[in-house]
Amino acid sequence: MEVTFKDVSLSYDGSREILHRLNFTIPEGTLVSILGPSGCGKSTTLMMISGLLAPTSGHIFFGDEDVTKQDALQRKVGMVFQNYALYPHLKVLDNIMFPLKMAKVPKAERREKAIKLAKLVHVDDQLDKKPGSLSGGQQQRVAIARALAKEPSLLLLDEPLSNLDARLRIEMRQEIRRIQQETGVTTIFVTHDQDEALHISDHIMVLNSGKIQQFSSAETLYDNPSNLFIAQFIGEPVINTIDIEDFDDELTDHVDAEILKRAKKVGIRPEALQDHDTGADTLATITTKVKTFEKFGREKNALLDFHGKRLLTTEIEAELAEGQELPLYLQKSGFYLFDQEGTRIFGGDQDVE
Amino acid sequence: MLNEKPTLKSTGKALLYLLPMLIITITFNIYPILKSFIMSFYTKYDFFRDIVSQYGFDNFKFLFSDPDFHIAVKNTLIFVIGVVPLTVIISLAIALLLNRITWLSGLFRTVYFLPFVTSTVAIAQVWHWIYNGDYGLLNYFLSFFGVNAISWLESPHYAMLALIIMSVWKNLGFNIVLFLVGLNNINERYYQAAKIDGANTWHQFTNVTVPLLSPITFLVSVNGVIGSFKVFDEIFALFNGTPGPSKSALTIVYYLYQKFYTEWKYGIAAASGVVLFFMILLVTVFQLWYSKRHVHY
Ligand SMILES: Nc1ncnc2c1ncn2[C@@H]1O[C@H](COP(=O)(O)OP(=O)(O)OP(=O)(O)O)[C@@H](O)[C@H]1O
Ligand SMILES: [Mg+2]
Repeated sequence: MEVTFKDVSLSYDGSREILHRLNFTIPEGTLVSILGPSGCGKSTTLMMISGLLAPTSGHIFFGDEDVTKQDALQRKVGMVFQNYALYPHLKVLDNIMFPLKMAKVPKAERREKAIKLAKLVHVDDQLDKKPGSLSGGQQQRVAIARALAKEPSLLLLDEPLSNLDARLRIEMRQEIRRIQQETGVTTIFVTHDQDEALHISDHIMVLNSGKIQQFSSAETLYDNPSNLFIAQFIGEPVINTIDIEDFDDELTDHVDAEILKRAKKVGIRPEALQDHDTGADTLATITTKVKTFEKFGREKNALLDFHGKRLLTTEIEAELAEGQELPLYLQKSGFYLFDQEGTRIFGGDQDVE
Repeated sequence: MLNEKPTLKSTGKALLYLLPMLIITITFNIYPILKSFIMSFYTKYDFFRDIVSQYGFDNFKFLFSDPDFHIAVKNTLIFVIGVVPLTVIISLAIALLLNRITWLSGLFRTVYFLPFVTSTVAIAQVWHWIYNGDYGLLNYFLSFFGVNAISWLESPHYAMLALIIMSVWKNLGFNIVLFLVGLNNINERYYQAAKIDGANTWHQFTNVTVPLLSPITFLVSVNGVIGSFKVFDEIFALFNGTPGPSKSALTIVYYLYQKFYTEWKYGIAAASGVVLFFMILLVTVFQLWYSKRHVHY
């Protein structure tokens, strides 16, 4: 089911607005991640999609239908809560069966389906336990099974993997991806782990302080960050950010003077600092001094001093000595300029939103 | 330590902590209970010199053949069965409503709590007027529905009903407060999950509220059963020191009171107390057994 937000705003107490005029469309059958730092309004957005929370203003559409006025019962979405919200008085099996019971599915069928789902999320050995005696990760998986039980046309997952260990997490995220692709259920996946978002989703919506920063594919987020926040939020190691004043005249001949005048911050991805000339891909050259140089297996990292500011590069080929002078070649891809407001005005593909 | 095993030392320490309360309990609860058990077997007893010349089962034999005691047992059971379920259902219903409203909720809570802090005698006086056959509010109210005047307190058919209505009303206040606490303790997220899972308001009530409230419901009903078995002061106050017209409100404790204070038959009074004790024990054990399977902590 396609989900559309039109100018949706929300305030819990009527005075402080948490979400400001959200506009987006989640295409049918896709898996979209909502990514953002803690407290930015991810859970709140999900609650509004589910119908548990009504927007203060604006409209929500499922397909062509305006569902703004419908409650959770009418919207019939599946949801995994951030705090799981398993029924404490019901055994695991009964928890998974509960939505089916409400849908008046015959008992034998309910059971069969619930056991199948329990197997899928690896909790089939816990069926007779109460949620209180499960580990956090097990509860999380039971919650996923319960959400899947009623085969919703829209599945909302609020950080469903946050409590799992690294290996199980990767396994479960592949499982979620597989189930999503098999059933074609439109899925919205909330996470604050960019790695998870990058791996699992068709599109990523990055939210910060109640506003959509960018809504695009993982690749676009990385290559064409629409603003400084995205550039700093996406990417590991974090992009180098320095002020435009830290450059003397290294950029003068390579960047339009008009743009240079508006620019405030410079973002350089660590892999965009090469220690050898790459010809046409090179934008400019700068001279730096090596502060530290580290080797981990195949990886070589160097922390450099540039006019008193620190730069990190991961693209060193030669062996370096600390304190030595090092000319670096700034690559065209991975070099961005941002204006006063943080909007990208140079670098990347300017036409891509 | 969570998984500490009890040792001799830790048990001794625990006993020391419990000692002050234990002394009070033993003096004022355990000793009288034992004493009345023993007293129920006194068959020849000189009260003035505190000499027991014979023990036996005569007191119990008397009870089993005394028609008054039969009436008392029957009335007590009717009272318990009438009061407890009504109290639970009505106070839960009112608590649910109070939990919904935010408007003047503090005032309403106070209003409902008032009966609990008011003396039974005062309450009974008010109800005395409400029940008045000629000028009572209740008959006046019923007359709108074409019901002829009922002499609530004078007719043996209606006296027990009048007693039950007043007792339920008097019990409401405290139980509503208990239920409100219980309702507040149910996390909103379970209702959210239930809505997502497709449960309508009724199903949310039966699948979330009822099971998660069951510890409180259990407390309220056990408390209600024990309290109702021991009913006395309501009767004394409502019927001006009589057990109702034609003994229609004679209960076990009232019977005990009569035997003890007006007839000075201490052995029989003690024996009826013992019978009451076992009746309460039986019902409470049954409730405990039932709660093992249906109460979710
Ligand atoms: N019930 C509520 N009443 C009032 N304010 C709330 C409520 N729930 C959340 N908020 C506020 O709304 C903002 C967004 O909260 P939300 O739970 O959506 O964040 P989130 O992005 O899910 O964060 P996290 O990653 O920590 O789960 C926060 O500032 C929070 O304090
Ligand atoms: Mg959240």
